Amino acid sequence: MVWPFLVLGGLTVVLFALSLATGPRGAPGAAVPDLRHDPELLRLILVQIRLPRALLGVMVGATLGLSGAVLQGFLRNPLAEPGLLGASSSAALGAVIALYFGLSALFPAALPLAGIAGSALGLMLVILLARGSGSILTLILAGVAVNALAGALTALALNLAPSPYAAMEIVFWLLGSLADRSLEDVGIATPFMLAGWFLLLRLGRGLDALSLGEETARSLGFDIPRLRLEMVLGVGLSVGAAVAVAGSIGFVGLVVPHLLRPLVGHRPGLLLPASALGGAALTLAADLAVRWFSAGQELKLGVVTALVGAPFFLYLLVRMRRVGPA
Amino acid sequence: MILGIWVLAGLPGIAGAAVTAPPRHIVSINLCTDALLLALVPRSRIAALSHLATDPRLSPVVALARGIPQVHGAAEEVLALDPDLVVAGRYTTRETVLLLRRLGIDVVELGLPTSMNDVRRQIREFAQWVGEPGRGERVVAALDARLSAAAPDPGTPRPLAAIYGPNGYTAGPRTLEGAVLRAAGYANLAGRAGIETWGWLPLEGLLRGRPQLLVFEETGHAPDLAHRVLAHPALVRVQRSIAVASVPGRLWSCAGPWVGEVVQRLARLRQEGPVQGRGR
Repeated sequence: MVWPFLVLGGLTVVLFALSLATGPRGAPGAAVPDLRHDPELLRLILVQIRLPRALLGVMVGATLGLSGAVLQGFLRNPLAEPGLLGASSSAALGAVIALYFGLSALFPAALPLAGIAGSALGLMLVILLARGSGSILTLILAGVAVNALAGALTALALNLAPSPYAAMEIVFWLLGSLADRSLEDVGIATPFMLAGWFLLLRLGRGLDALSLGEETARSLGFDIPRLRLEMVLGVGLSVGAAVAVAGSIGFVGLVVPHLLRPLVGHRPGLLLPASALGGAALTLAADLAVRWFSAGQELKLGVVTALVGAPFFLYLLVRMRRVGPA
Repeated sequence: MILGIWVLAGLPGIAGAAVTAPPRHIVSINLCTDALLLALVPRSRIAALSHLATDPRLSPVVALARGIPQVHGAAEEVLALDPDLVVAGRYTTRETVLLLRRLGIDVVELGLPTSMNDVRRQIREFAQWVGEPGRGERVVAALDARLSAAAPDPGTPRPLAAIYGPNGYTAGPRTLEGAVLRAAGYANLAGRAGIETWGWLPLEGLLRGRPQLLVFEETGHAPDLAHRVLAHPALVRVQRSIAVASVPGRLWSCAGPWVGEVVQRLARLRQEGPVQGRGR
């Protein structure tokens, strides 16, 4: 069972290297002297501009893939992912309130913390709304409701913000971007993302047991409410911090676990680390596509992931209607 | 000039006759026309200015504008003042301008300047419209004096400069800001990158272009994402080794004599050493 991890890991490394080697498409082309003759400028660009972008691509992607796999495993719902269940949009709401009203200027960690608070609250609300009902549909509808609410409140907050640029920036918060991130962004988000991963990766065995049914899992000694709490905290911490620095990037958490499930023998436990790597690879690839295919101003990252993920989502829906819930 | 004649010919009751009396009750509904009015016309002939005239971030004539009534630009407000001339910008709300003209009010429009010649032409044209041609010539002469003091020696290489603003936007040669840069003796990185008017220059592109002078706009701002790129560690680090200038936005938001001040300020950086032309 090692080879899928080797392939995924290798793919991630290759894409990481490609990301470091790729500049923005809109950069002045012809008349620019070769960077090899100016090692200091080369180092500045590599370390301060391209490295944070590639690092965040890996970490945000891993967060999204991992969270998607955990949510799908715990909720036993093939359509679960942070974007559809309102965790990303609630994180964006928290981050917007912290940034545009000056809180993060006073205290930089306020930005990821506000994203985390938003994300955890949004996810808890969705789970509460869908409690008791075993239907996949109820959970998705709860996600739709929370997304709508969070989106509306975010638009309102941006409209009320003092800066005249704020209203247009909703595009960043809804679609996400890794352009021109800095090592400071990496610094404030990484500790929280790592903490979230720590909580989420430990849930593997619990998810394996849950796949046999709630009763069976309980009889095996697993504390379901505690698993739920760790999941909400883990997703909240990692997705909250990721969205605070990169905006909300959709569909990665939906697509990656589905693609990788057959490769890990449908075991939820193994799917977690695999989805983390797969999410990192997919996000890096999307970020490369953004730079290769944009003309003029760069496309937002979420546009590319949606172009891949939305058709995939439709395919899942159609398959479910024909075959019944997987 | 042609526009002015067209408008005069439309005035009821004076078809064919030249207007000799200058307008005595002028209303301005545009920031740039506010500023030119205050530069060229005695206060007693100004009936009202736009509400932007006292905005310290945008208006080059804040102190002069105090004490003069202001309007927000709605047709009703303007009508109530019974003006004999309304001055507006080419991008002032179309409906308002058309409505005012339909009601028989004389409205002239100022375009967007894209070169120093445009600036001179606008000052002269505006001076004609408001009946102060002599004063217009004096203002242009003063501006020209400042511009020639700032002009580079012919034949010397121009140092490369870049204007960088929120969201990484830069001003190309065919903008007022680009014209200021040119008059101050610099080459414009935006032009080299193929950006003629306004456009996005990615941070990496800015750094790789190796400008010798970075020009930022000085206006204070509320927190948002647009200004993040201006605080990016890479840009901060680069500023340790190249010259940086900060220009108050109000000095180049409109064509007028204040533009000479920015040109001189930027030229001084070149003439007194911090920016060295390095013959490219």
